[in-house]
Amino acid sequence: MSNKINTIGIPSEEEIKKAQIDFSPRCTAAGRVNDKETQKMVEYILNFARKHSLFVLAYGTGCGAIEIPATMTSRYDAERFGIRGAATPRQADVLLITGYLSTKTLKRVIRVYEQMQDPKYVIAFGSCTINGGMYFDSYNTIKALDRYLPVDVYIAGCMPRPESVIKGFIKLQELIQNGNAGNGECYRDNLDWYRTNQQKIIKNWDFPDEYNW
Amino acid sequence: MDLIHNLKEVFEIDAKIKNDFQIEVEAKKELVSSILLYLKNQHGFIHLDHMSCVDWIEDEVFELVYIVWNPNTKKTVLLHTKIDRNKPEMENIDTIWDQANTYEREFREMYGIEFPGLVAEREFILEGWTEMPPMRRDFDTKKYAEETYATRPGRENAEDVREKIIKRTGEEIPDFAKKYSRD
Amino acid sequence: MEGIGFKILGALLTTILAFVVGMFYGGLNRKITARTQNRVGPPVYQNFIDLVKLQGKRTNIAHGFMGHIAPVLAIIASLTVLMFIPVLHDGLWFRNLTFKGDLIFLLYMMVFGSLGMALGAGQSGNPNSAIGVSRGLAQMVGYEIPFVLALVSLMIQFHTTSIQDLMAYQHETGQWIIFANPFAFLAAILSYLGMFRYSPFDIVGAPAELASGPISEFGGKYLGTMMTSGSIFAFIKLVLMVDIFFGGAGNFGSGFWGVVAGLVELVVKTFIVYMIPVFIGLVSPRFRTEQAIRFFWKWPTAFGVIAILWSVFL
Repeated sequence: MSNKINTIGIPSEEEIKKAQIDFSPRCTAAGRVNDKETQKMVEYILNFARKHSLFVLAYGTGCGAIEIPATMTSRYDAERFGIRGAATPRQADVLLITGYLSTKTLKRVIRVYEQMQDPKYVIAFGSCTINGGMYFDSYNTIKALDRYLPVDVYIAGCMPRPESVIKGFIKLQELIQNGNAGNGECYRDNLDWYRTNQQKIIKNWDFPDEYNW
Repeated sequence: MDLIHNLKEVFEIDAKIKNDFQIEVEAKKELVSSILLYLKNQHGFIHLDHMSCVDWIEDEVFELVYIVWNPNTKKTVLLHTKIDRNKPEMENIDTIWDQANTYEREFREMYGIEFPGLVAEREFILEGWTEMPPMRRDFDTKKYAEETYATRPGRENAEDVREKIIKRTGEEIPDFAKKYSRD
Repeated sequence: MEGIGFKILGALLTTILAFVVGMFYGGLNRKITARTQNRVGPPVYQNFIDLVKLQGKRTNIAHGFMGHIAPVLAIIASLTVLMFIPVLHDGLWFRNLTFKGDLIFLLYMMVFGSLGMALGAGQSGNPNSAIGVSRGLAQMVGYEIPFVLALVSLMIQFHTTSIQDLMAYQHETGQWIIFANPFAFLAAILSYLGMFRYSPFDIVGAPAELASGPISEFGGKYLGTMMTSGSIFAFIKLVLMVDIFFGGAGNFGSGFWGVVAGLVELVVKTFIVYMIPVFIGLVSPRFRTEQAIRFFWKWPTAFGVIAILWSVFL
């Protein structure tokens, strides 16, 4: 298993240095408008449906997982926006990362993200995913999630309250309606860059060589 | 106290009463497993509460603490022992309590303490860790984190960004939040 | 009015009706669940939006050939069963292919969709799917017995295996079979609880436990097709229940307004029947597998046996 040769290969020092200098994430939510004239009407309807039917795969890492039940249940009721829990990554649209990610968890998160079907969105919770938060000096926790996965919406706070979470979802809905969200294709196009970053911190790399997206 | 007297008689160690429920014992590392076995078999301390490790880098020792509990008398014994930091090796006690296995795996991974005879995977919590064991105090976590994980560039100054955000979005600071303003 | 063209048109209309009503019932279920939990809940047309979104996914993954055709098998089974159920009593429009022995045919055909899904789930290789399938088949063994007993008691009592004849009998005598043979109704409705797979019999899906069981590896358009098939099948079960025990719908003649009035009657009756599993599901936690099977083999089966005795000796 561990002797498998990766198609991308282990990053050289030069690549690592390059990746470190080039900080800006490759896939951002802004500026990816689908402007094909022929498909505008279809895309509009599909975007409307995507916007109002978000199946959420809550990846319960860190403390943010405790905000999810509050958001989903009676008091804040996220289901009125069409937000609903999904049981498996295959069925899900939104990956919700609720807090700090250790390198060990990041590996699983990447697997989960790659199993989701396009169009897929990522919402990252809390300051830990933005800049490390209180784990800024931890030996085992990543500090900027968008280096490893394309993130659509960040929700700041430690932890964000359910109101902020719902506001984040509404922001995502706006982005979806404008065609700005969903970076699965961009992730695939820039896979080399993301893989370089991921392999730099995930030491025992044993992903399958070729992905069946 | 019966227990303190017996410990003095059998092992020639001084136990002292910390409070009504806790008895503190300090022993050499060779004696630890015999004391624990004695406490378990003769005095009913059948439950291993906890094991912990402290890194005394100035004295060049690791201090291991074994906490055992007697459910009948509700008394706790804290057994301290010190081992050499440069060649950390400790006796394996998972034959006395099975759950000690987990603690010892963690010590091996986080402090690099070896337990001869411990049957367990070497890799426990950390995956593919090649550096110094991270809980040792001479391991610089901040430096390691800055070198390994990308850091998002922060702001240069320490201004109150709320004013800026308010100007941008046209919202107002609510009254209850005004008292936290930096001006 | 006779002619193959009208038959085809009627079949199409039946399909559309089953799809629309089934999906709306799914949405209503979510809405009612939400209101019971003091939430606002999604709009009743939420399931349609979900379906459009699922069909509009850009990538869809299937694990091999069987995984690819499993949703198709499921929807084919649903549509086949639908074609053999007389939706309305009077008129030619919604009778479709109903024939003299359709009650026995349905008993066989209603299992087919689940089997298709089981084959597809088996190929995905997901352990959750495998556990879900085995649980589903075990539960099916549980609820099929009282259901068959209930239907057999009706066959004995009325000397017919045709749903159309049962409806005609209820129409002529004016007595619904729920009063003519109440124990058969009890056995059938209790086995319906298992067939609908709401709580406490949601041991197949069990989102918190099995990650939605057999469908855990289906996403995108496959999931959408499964959802459609499930909605149509829910409608079928409700119509069958109404046809057999509640006098059927549409005894208003075969004119246009007669058909419309019949459809309204059908929707009202099916909705009332649908509320039984929904409300029981709302207040119940989940059974374990062996508890579910033990339940089905205890009370519903006892009711079924009493129903047969009732129909033989009365």
